[in-house]
Amino acid sequence: MSKVALITGVTGQDGAYLSELLLSKGYTVHGLKRRSSSFNTGRVEHLYRDPHEEDVRFFMHYGDLTDSTNLIRLVQQIQPTEIYNLAAQSHVHVSFETPEYTANADGIGTLRLLEAIRILGLEKTARFYQASTSELYGKVQETPQRETTPFYPRSPYAAAKLYAYWITVNYREAYGMHASNGILFNHESPLRGETFVTRKITRAVAAIEHGRQDCLYLGNLDAKRDWGHARDYVEGMWRILQQDEADDYVLATGETHSVRSFVELAFGHIGRGIEWRGEGVDEEGICQKTGKVVVRIDPAYFRPTEVDLLLGDPSKAREKLGWTHTTAFRDLVRDMVDADMAAIAGAGLQLVEPAE
Amino acid sequence: MSRGRTALIFGIGGQDGSWLADLLVRRGYAVHGTSRDREASSFANLRRLGLFGRVHLHSAGLNDFRSVAQVIKEVRPTEIYNLAGQSSVGLSFDQPVETLDSIVHGTVNILEAIRFLGIDTRFYNASSSECFGNTEHGPAGETHSFHPRSPYGVGKAAAYWAVANYREAYGLFACSGILFNHESPLRPARYVTQKIVRGAADIAEGRADQLCLGDLSVARDWGWAPEYVDAMARMLAHDQPEDFVIATGRLHTLEEFVRLVFDCFGLDWRRYVEIDPGLRRPADITHSVGDPGKANRLLGWSAETTMPGVVAKLVEAERIRRRDGSPAGNPAGSPAENLMSIPLAVPA
Repeated sequence: MSKVALITGVTGQDGAYLSELLLSKGYTVHGLKRRSSSFNTGRVEHLYRDPHEEDVRFFMHYGDLTDSTNLIRLVQQIQPTEIYNLAAQSHVHVSFETPEYTANADGIGTLRLLEAIRILGLEKTARFYQASTSELYGKVQETPQRETTPFYPRSPYAAAKLYAYWITVNYREAYGMHASNGILFNHESPLRGETFVTRKITRAVAAIEHGRQDCLYLGNLDAKRDWGHARDYVEGMWRILQQDEADDYVLATGETHSVRSFVELAFGHIGRGIEWRGEGVDEEGICQKTGKVVVRIDPAYFRPTEVDLLLGDPSKAREKLGWTHTTAFRDLVRDMVDADMAAIAGAGLQLVEPAE
Repeated sequence: MSRGRTALIFGIGGQDGSWLADLLVRRGYAVHGTSRDREASSFANLRRLGLFGRVHLHSAGLNDFRSVAQVIKEVRPTEIYNLAGQSSVGLSFDQPVETLDSIVHGTVNILEAIRFLGIDTRFYNASSSECFGNTEHGPAGETHSFHPRSPYGVGKAAAYWAVANYREAYGLFACSGILFNHESPLRPARYVTQKIVRGAADIAEGRADQLCLGDLSVARDWGWAPEYVDAMARMLAHDQPEDFVIATGRLHTLEEFVRLVFDCFGLDWRRYVEIDPGLRRPADITHSVGDPGKANRLLGWSAETTMPGVVAKLVEAERIRRRDGSPAGNPAGSPAENLMSIPLAVPA
């Protein structure tokens, strides 16, 4: 049977990488995007061809997780064999400003998709992947975190994702659906949004190298994260849906690195060593090549409530899925810096375009 | 926050929101605006008008009461403009629930927030000629009956009556502008006017050899969007809250529009335009023309630019856009934006 995937949130980082992966495996891929007055398909533009052409296997549709009948109609028309629910209001701090919308899209939106499968009688033919998140661990109850670690969400975003996690488990148990959660730790790439710290750093490195920016302002340099490459993580999502039994998996590198280390590697990649001077908010990063201050601390970026160390234990994924991250931290940083250098030189404009 | 002239525009990222922000910034207003996700939106229209960084941006989902009330409480605007919501008639047939939710529930949330906070503000709601449906007996004025023909029109009609009800029940300064079609280069590529202009430009450049369109016999009243946002501001400056039809009063078929666009590029449209019945809507409006007499008498407003002028301006803007390179958010001929023409894979 030919494989047909439906990806909600196709315009995001993970949607773009997953679309590429599935197309390379011969799938027909249908992506859902939300309406917007602003252009928001920059990350998947290169995959798109006019559907009037022959052998087109990538399609996009307008869809919205807050609209049940729209989802049912799309699932009915597409008849997917695999559904990846990657759509969400995914900014933690925006979720404090729009908690009701976040709950509606991220929490009940997941229920609507599961219900669409059920109403259409596709429980036995459509497999379902739910994009769960390490934010579920929030105030961590043990380190490293694994599938059995109790959740402790700390934001409206994480609380909505908690509902989505459990309703996915419930539909698996109640209706025998092949529905699984991937609990993903931080995963970055050149397609990461510009407000995320990793992308902020690599864009600044490129801009400083090209003389378009003087200095990069950051918060806590010693904050540590478990950072992987998004390309590796979409491979994990796919493997989760190829298992005979649906189940929940942590996908993580199992390593942590500091923001400081990220900064050093990023500047180092373009031949600029960083020397740190001073302490606390007065600490500065000096470019050894030019002697100029290129990194400063802005206390506005400090997040006193977000001190917990998120470190994932990917043992179960390694044992059952044969999955492990393959991109080393150093190579992730290089990939991101190279892309932003190319973008700023005009070679890849879609990468600097803010995309939804 | 200062109670000088402060405007809050829900839906500042869209065509009308961006033009209105432009107008109000030039008039010395402090301008605040919302988008569903400030962090994720590219605000391409604001950037194109040079307004990014000159207006204050907030995240607010219209169907999220807290976010609506919170931003109104923070900004304490003297004027509120609701230009947010699902705005495509075509898409409303595929996404009816979200369309009604964003338009009806969204408008009521703003009215409720104004009532709940008890603040002294003036409220403009973007109503639409789609409320009237067909106007085959001549231009529709404010008293013309409603007969919407799409989920979008149904939503706009309900929101119109919610605004009228809150004005009458609670004495709010709340009014609806019943705007007929108004265009500009800031329309997304999926709208038919941009689809035609970009399609003709592609053909003129040899990058395409045909343009697929739906029913060309439909007739509309097309005006120029920057003039229409001026009418919105005039409604809130009027001494009492009333509803107004904003239109040119001129009716033209889509075929005339297509012909004029192709003429601008020195092309004969008949050689390139293919009619695809699949692009027709489940129910469409054949004639839509408005009577702007009341706005002219009470607001001193009238449309300067009629359809031929609109076409000339759209074509000129498209030529400049192609010559100067693609501004962020609007890649030339971006196929992926042209989603409305994508046929769905319907299983047998």
